[in-house]
Amino acid sequence: MMEQYPCPYRKLLNCSISDCKYENELIEILNKCIEVLNKIAEGDTSQVIDIKTQKACLQSLIDTINKARNEIEEFINLNHELAIGICEHFDVLRRLQAGDFSAKASEDSSLEIVKMLGQLINRQKNRFVDYINKIKEQHEEMVKLYEQERVILSSIGVSILISEEDMTVEFVNEEFERLTGYTKTEVEGKMKWTEFIPEDILPMMVEFHKLRRISPSLAPSQYEFKFKDKNGNIRDALLTVAMIPYTKKSIASIIDITERKKIQEQRIHSQKMESLGMLSGRVAHEFNNILSGILGFATLLNSKIEDSILKNLIQKIIEAGERARDLAKNLLVFSRKEELGEIQKISLNEYLIKFSEFIKPIIGRDIELKLKLPENEIFYRINPAHLEVILMNLVTNARDAMPEGGELAIGLKEISLDLEYHYTHPLIKPGRYILLCITDTGIGMDEQTKQRIFEPFFTTKPKDKGTGLGLSTVFGLIKKYNGHIHVYSELGKGTTFKIYLPQEEKKSSASINKETLKGHETLLIVDDDAQTRQYLSAFLKDYGYEVYEAQDGKKAVEIFEKNKDKIALCLIDLVMPGISGIEVMRQIKNINARAKTIIMSGHPIEFKNIISIEKSISADEILLKIRNMLDQKE
Amino acid sequence: MAIRVLDYSGLKCPYPILKLSAQYPQFKEGEIIDIIGDCPTFEKDIKAWCNKLGKTILNIEKQGNKIKVTIRI
Repeated sequence: MMEQYPCPYRKLLNCSISDCKYENELIEILNKCIEVLNKIAEGDTSQVIDIKTQKACLQSLIDTINKARNEIEEFINLNHELAIGICEHFDVLRRLQAGDFSAKASEDSSLEIVKMLGQLINRQKNRFVDYINKIKEQHEEMVKLYEQERVILSSIGVSILISEEDMTVEFVNEEFERLTGYTKTEVEGKMKWTEFIPEDILPMMVEFHKLRRISPSLAPSQYEFKFKDKNGNIRDALLTVAMIPYTKKSIASIIDITERKKIQEQRIHSQKMESLGMLSGRVAHEFNNILSGILGFATLLNSKIEDSILKNLIQKIIEAGERARDLAKNLLVFSRKEELGEIQKISLNEYLIKFSEFIKPIIGRDIELKLKLPENEIFYRINPAHLEVILMNLVTNARDAMPEGGELAIGLKEISLDLEYHYTHPLIKPGRYILLCITDTGIGMDEQTKQRIFEPFFTTKPKDKGTGLGLSTVFGLIKKYNGHIHVYSELGKGTTFKIYLPQEEKKSSASINKETLKGHETLLIVDDDAQTRQYLSAFLKDYGYEVYEAQDGKKAVEIFEKNKDKIALCLIDLVMPGISGIEVMRQIKNINARAKTIIMSGHPIEFKNIISIEKSISADEILLKIRNMLDQKE
Repeated sequence: MAIRVLDYSGLKCPYPILKLSAQYPQFKEGEIIDIIGDCPTFEKDIKAWCNKLGKTILNIEKQGNKIKVTIRI
């Protein structure tokens, strides 16, 4: 066959020339065309047929192949650009989805659709980033608001408690810690609010809790209740509760009204006394008129009758009438309708010296009378008859309280009561007062008796010994001078009556420079009465002192043991449950023999080798005493 | 750690880079990958892909009619 067709393409081209001179050229061109077409078929458009031939047919083939190659190359390039654009945008979307907002799609593709897709992605991303930034800003704002609310809730001067639906306490503030004695860590998430409530009112409060969650209007939003603090003390409080929107939690604010209630009770008591005074005054006045008739006619009858038996009976009527008249007179004095003389300026020192001589035979030999007068003479404008009624009543009561003898002390001094004292004794206005103290070491009184002693006709004495008008008369007379009377008593220890008579405002010549009262030392206050302890602690801190507080002797000794090198002085209450103040002082001295201590008491007391103060003396005087002790002036 | 190998032999461009993009989310940052292909524009496509996505080409090796490109993700 090869001999017949020496040229491999002769048959293909139907060529009849046996000795064709273009045979080789043809072969070369066709080979090249096949090679390039194969490459194009594989996707490789890198080669171009650059052969030029005279044969129009071949040249046309070459040109057609080259044209096809160009078209295919352009198509491949387009395809590649489209693919690479998709890959790139796909990657940008993937990064955005993963939270990488630095990813940015390129917008430089020559393909409009790829370019627009890039622009669209970037615009969407920017909108999304703006949206996220706004959410972030709002979130930061909410976090700030949340922090602010927490600070407000924490530092507000009202106790706050947030309760979960199951009554678990979620949050309490600092004031709650102060009020109850529990710490946040003890309460939050661990305790239920029901643990603070006395059993008798618990079912009612639980019911309110449940009803409030059905509808807030079903339970009262504000009511008075009682709660137990950490020491088990029951306190009166005002509760205001509200549901927190969108939750099943409630927020409760608690205001301790224990003191307010006490003051209210004192006011009511005081008003009751006033009204009783007025009423008894009117009754006594009418009664006196009737008695004048009875006594007058009985006396007349007595002078006209000779029969000794009848005379004796009339005498009994007269005696009974006279007793009734005395009672009416007492009632009139109590109601301040009976004036027994005039107000005059008298020397109290002089008066008390004379008075003490006068009462010596009345109180008897078993009672030792002590008169404590200041060096300076104190004058006061008072009706001496009133003063006598006041003192006589208190002295005879003191005498009756000491059937087996004891000590009766009458003290006099000028004092200045400041605002701090007013906060703890709201009925007494700040200012200068004359303080008269009548102290006995008698049987004392229980709390119930103490509450009622100023009520008219209340008496603990046997029927024929007391009218029950003595102390109510004293109360009425002291009120007349805008004064106050306080009683401090302990069973088996004795009683102190303190009479505060207001002085006209005058500039104190012996005013103390506040700066000299300041200090930086650490003090330990030991007192079972939380109010006194906190009051002392607060003003000592104001004056720069560091203060530890202990509610009983055991705790005091523990604190002192731990801080013996730091505590410069201990203020110890004399009478406390458990270990007494003197014993606490002794144990502290055992730890450090040089420890400085001051014993505090409601009574004016004096111990040998023990420095003591009265709790009711002014803040300045307490500070001065402390300063003097620390500076070793005492 | 064994190098991940992606064999795209027989696939015409631009399928290899489309497949590479689809598989890419499973790779770890810094991972080294061998990509094998036999399309005439394979090398060019991988280079363009790396350039656009900011990846590094570590090596290009011809293996007969195939090309192996090593890149770091």
